Amino acid sequence: MTNNTIETLQKNKDLYGSYESKEVITWCSGCGNYGIQNALKRAFTLENLDQKDVVLCYDIGCHGNGSDKIDAFTIHGLHGRVISLAAGVATANPKLNVIAHGGDGGTLSEGVNHLIHAIRSNYKVLFLHHNNSNYALTTGQPSSTTPLGQPMNSAPDGVYIDPLNPLDLVLSLNPGFVARTFSGDINHMTEMFRKGLNHNGFAFVEILQVCPTYSRTLTKEWYTERVRDLAENSDYDPTNLEQAKKVASEIEKEIGIGLIYHNPERKEFTDLLPNRQGVETAPVEEVKRMNIQNLLKEFE
Amino acid sequence: MKRNSIKLVGQSGSGLLSTGEILANALKNIGFYINTDREFPSLIKGGHSSFQVDFSTEPIRSSTSYADILIGMDEHGLKNYVDKTRKGGIVIHGFERHEKVMKLKKSVEERELKVAYLPAREIAESFGGNVLMTNMILLGLLWKILDFPLEPLEEEVKKRFASKPALLEIDLKCLHKAYESEDTPDLKIEVNKEKPETILINGNYAIGIGGIQAGVRTFYAYPMSPASSILSYLAATYHESGMLVKQAEDEITAVQMTMGAMYAGSRAFTATSGGGFDLMTESVSAAGIMECPLVVVIAQRPGPGTGLPTWTCQGDLNLAIHAGHGEYGKAVLACSDPYSAYEQIQHALNIAEKYQVPVILLSEKEIAESMQTVPRFKEDQIPIERGLTQGKDLEELKSTDRYAITDSGVSKRWIPGSTKTYFYSNSDEHWEDGVLTEEADKAGQMYEKRLKKMETMLSEFPDPIVYGEEDADISFVGWGSSKNVMLDVIEYLKSEGVKVNYLHYDYLWPLKTEKFVEFFDKNKRVCLIEGNHGGQLGQLLEDKTNKLFASKLLKFDGRAFFFDEVLEFIKANHDK
Repeated sequence: MTNNTIETLQKNKDLYGSYESKEVITWCSGCGNYGIQNALKRAFTLENLDQKDVVLCYDIGCHGNGSDKIDAFTIHGLHGRVISLAAGVATANPKLNVIAHGGDGGTLSEGVNHLIHAIRSNYKVLFLHHNNSNYALTTGQPSSTTPLGQPMNSAPDGVYIDPLNPLDLVLSLNPGFVARTFSGDINHMTEMFRKGLNHNGFAFVEILQVCPTYSRTLTKEWYTERVRDLAENSDYDPTNLEQAKKVASEIEKEIGIGLIYHNPERKEFTDLLPNRQGVETAPVEEVKRMNIQNLLKEFE
Repeated sequence: MKRNSIKLVGQSGSGLLSTGEILANALKNIGFYINTDREFPSLIKGGHSSFQVDFSTEPIRSSTSYADILIGMDEHGLKNYVDKTRKGGIVIHGFERHEKVMKLKKSVEERELKVAYLPAREIAESFGGNVLMTNMILLGLLWKILDFPLEPLEEEVKKRFASKPALLEIDLKCLHKAYESEDTPDLKIEVNKEKPETILINGNYAIGIGGIQAGVRTFYAYPMSPASSILSYLAATYHESGMLVKQAEDEITAVQMTMGAMYAGSRAFTATSGGGFDLMTESVSAAGIMECPLVVVIAQRPGPGTGLPTWTCQGDLNLAIHAGHGEYGKAVLACSDPYSAYEQIQHALNIAEKYQVPVILLSEKEIAESMQTVPRFKEDQIPIERGLTQGKDLEELKSTDRYAITDSGVSKRWIPGSTKTYFYSNSDEHWEDGVLTEEADKAGQMYEKRLKKMETMLSEFPDPIVYGEEDADISFVGWGSSKNVMLDVIEYLKSEGVKVNYLHYDYLWPLKTEKFVEFFDKNKRVCLIEGNHGGQLGQLLEDKTNKLFASKLLKFDGRAFFFDEVLEFIKANHDK
């Protein structure tokens, strides 16, 4: 984090403070969610986003228990459905900054169809994928990102199905924005969230999230040893899809974090609508009685 | 009231639908009232289909099980439908080898049918036309028999095929040639002197127009028969309306996007059939606890499972009422015809926003896809009621206003972007600002608050409506499309000296019963008419009031109630 950003944070401390909640946090100590929520508030402050213009949507899971621990408009919906809910908000009012959170269970199992079609439709939503490699709120069942062989609640002899790599899936779908970050690095998360907030379309940010209670092998230390910021590599070109796919899938020795892929050419959903080209108003601003006389002519 | 019916039968995909629509519109333009009914299988080509047009000089809302005139567009249709022709009726066809169809011969003799035949394919080919143009020949022949001026029919054909001028020319030659036929069976049909101010429209389009009128700006849906044409109509008109129309990847997405859009302050709804609604029920329950306005249209078709995708029923009342886990405020409305579809979608949106509840609007395939003449839709009849805190009042808001415990169960609602005063829209149990709570006292109070809306809605919803005579010989109670057949029956039997009345429910949940009890006490023989096996509304009413129906007319074979079928029921039951 540069001196500049620290200065901005200090200057805008009232804005930062407006997101602070008096509610008692209920996450385990050492949970990755603390850092994520913190980085998000920093990102809002640095992007100068007013509380009234932000809507945070939460799936069900440990991250969802943070839905009332931040002072902002939040929705805490159903398991696996957060992307669709957020897409409803974003399409109805594209002037809002819509952020959606989903875990590895909700995003890659229960609601994986929504992820696929949200990338395809390119709704203007910043999606934070809390990947902690297990179902923590239901006490540690394996998710589709739990490493092979890992004994888990409901997999006593170890997980026996190969895991998914979320970014392999996402990068196969012609996305507009893909980043990976790590819950142990608040500064890095802040930067990725800021970039995502500025992307006009669906921004997918995978957060490698530690779960000190149920994800016993993927500890903070384990990740810290492996993560490598792509920004350190001056040859890395985030507009190169092939390179991005390589970085996404080659995670045996080190895990590349940062802006992995960016395609600014993809049009945001609202800009794709044939009948709303050049429309400046948001649907929420247009709700009023509409004349139907022309429509009735067809039935006369 | 003199009823007339024409039934077109043929293969799906053989131009039956467009021929039927041309016929219905041409009759309307002569000044008739129209009711149409389509029967078709769930496939695109082949299989038998029918398109029935019932018409009269007076308003007509139902179909008969038989036709006065049968137009057989192929051998299969002729064979299978000839016995659905009224005794002494007319069969029109163009099937060259009809001499070999023994079934046709036999039925014509037994039922004393008059036959009008033209070698349709031969004529069409003589003008350079194809097999689809035989439809024009049969229409021309029909028109000659009906003895109507050709112009209104010609106009409709021109309108329909305007984009294909070369084919249109042949179509018109076929039409003229057949209209010049001689020695056709005689038929005198009375015609209205003045053309009534009506539109001919189906229920799905009416729901679309009602939505547009009511300020719906975003529509999300997944195709499912018989609701799909709401989606296609709103898409077809989106340049005019400016509406954001999104075909979602599944029904769950459609309902979730609808909720998100309503939360954000748009007006939105979604539409599906029973199976798609099953997928939505978890979201309906979530809308209940989040007090998020939500409107879902169910265009009913028979289940269970895939059931009868292209047929009709009233089988999903219990599904709608009991949808979603937990107990919470919810409203169920129904529409009965295109005009009520146009109005009820507007009321549904108002109720959803005013009371902050999920609202389910029940339609039926019979309403959704059947065209009917109804009065031209009136604008500005139903105000838009959003129940939103706006303007200066926004400055006074506290977060705890959002779910404040109130006597009515309804609290203030506002939208993100309008003020800094945030709230948590939480599907976990919560307290007044939406913050999660598991405390017994607060959880209990909040649970009850949401259910108080049921009492509030119950006291504010309109009563069911009585149609027909006082002192009736026989009475009926029903909902949905049953109203159509009942109105036709009431009117017809009035002239026969039999008094019938009917209590109709447009608002089904919460269920009002005062009027029902009154109706029961006033009338000597109250029967139920319902398009399902259990008599679902009947059961609810019986359970709530201990009034037992004298008899139940129930139907669950995918067909709507036919006019003559209700007459027969009345004949068998009214003097018991």
